[in-house]
Amino acid sequence: MIYLDNGATSLHKPQEVHRAVANTLRYCANPGRGGHEAAMAASRQVFACREEASRLFRCPAERVVMTTNCTHGLNIAINSLIPPDSRVVISGFEHNAVTRPLHARRTKIRVAGRRLFDWEDMLESFEKALKSGVDAAVFTHVSNVFGYILPVEEMAALCRHYGVPFILDAAQSAGVLSVDMEALGAAFIAMPGHKGLLGPQGTGLLLCGHEPRPLLFGGTGSESLSQSMPSYLPDSLEAGTLNVPGIAGLAAGLRYVRSRGIDKIFQQEHRAMTRAAADLQALGFHPFVGEHQAATVSFMPETDCEQAAKMLAEQGIAVRAGLHCAPLAHESAGTLETGTVRISFGHDANPGQNAHLRRALAKIIPVKG
Amino acid sequence: MKQSYITFRSVTFAQKAERILKKAGLECTLQRTPKELSQRGCGYCLGMRPGQVIRAAQLLNRENVDYGKLYAVNPEGGYEEIRI
Repeated sequence: MIYLDNGATSLHKPQEVHRAVANTLRYCANPGRGGHEAAMAASRQVFACREEASRLFRCPAERVVMTTNCTHGLNIAINSLIPPDSRVVISGFEHNAVTRPLHARRTKIRVAGRRLFDWEDMLESFEKALKSGVDAAVFTHVSNVFGYILPVEEMAALCRHYGVPFILDAAQSAGVLSVDMEALGAAFIAMPGHKGLLGPQGTGLLLCGHEPRPLLFGGTGSESLSQSMPSYLPDSLEAGTLNVPGIAGLAAGLRYVRSRGIDKIFQQEHRAMTRAAADLQALGFHPFVGEHQAATVSFMPETDCEQAAKMLAEQGIAVRAGLHCAPLAHESAGTLETGTVRISFGHDANPGQNAHLRRALAKIIPVKG
Repeated sequence: MKQSYITFRSVTFAQKAERILKKAGLECTLQRTPKELSQRGCGYCLGMRPGQVIRAAQLLNRENVDYGKLYAVNPEGGYEEIRI
């Protein structure tokens, strides 16, 4: 199978990740819950992951919180920063992981930047929203549907200028684009561990610049006499037993990403995306392409999206069809009625994948014109 | 004095301190905090030779690592807080 659904999760993990998970299952007990060797070994694995993330994202290790996925991190961040009924500005390309928690808190949402791949539009409308008075901003780094890379450095600078705290959703960028907590000055940055960081599913990271509020309450292995959650990070956000095998795998993924280099991974993925977009165009389709695009390209086939994805799957190509949990992004791009077929490359992108994809597309979808 | 301890609120801070102290050449061992020193229940500490604990604390202050208290074991086996 040619796996081109890395926007959902990375399937082909480095061997180091497999080994780390297997070893941890064998030797590690519960971190922070004892002084015996198996508990201490687990604590070392968790701390190693915090330190790896600390180096890659320039965030103090104790402010790197282990979550179960990016959505979990976003929920903690929104719960901490955005009281009910607040005024919030978001981009026009947000995932339901951002919009649903905001709706649940009855926030007054202002959407900025609806034009795909248009930084000028984004920055102009975003600043206008900030000027008009908002309590917080939440925005994605990269659209999960279209691969649109938002001008997050500039948006962060605007937030700092207007004194508006912000949350960055790095679901599609962590591991492929620079995410620098210190430079951005975010209140929170949430990311999955299982996409570009190549860890197992069920892992995620939340980088905390702002003081958080717990979402879960329970045992932390610290201050056991108190019936309140510890007030300090990371314990305040890590009630219950952590996913140690997953976290060890994530640490291995982080090491792999750091040793290969984010820029190199991005370039490799981007070349594959560019080839796929060119092939789609040559076959008579109209992929959504533009400046500031990561390794994801969406297109609308003549047939129904789900049907097209099914036909591609029958040809051994794994892609995703539909709304990709991001109706707002589709509304912005005018594809809410149809959805899109999304092709998203990963760290193992290569010309062979493009060749298979090209053949499958040509075979299953009638050439236009 | 047989042993000295630096206590921490969280295993993460204890691990961060361990990394800094070992990098500076100060030998220490991460372990559970003795019950008598664990005022809020459950915690971790770094055990080290008595002659090193002040230097260790100064280093942690410089690196902004949050720690609890410093203790030494006296000849009778009790704990004495070290103040700096």
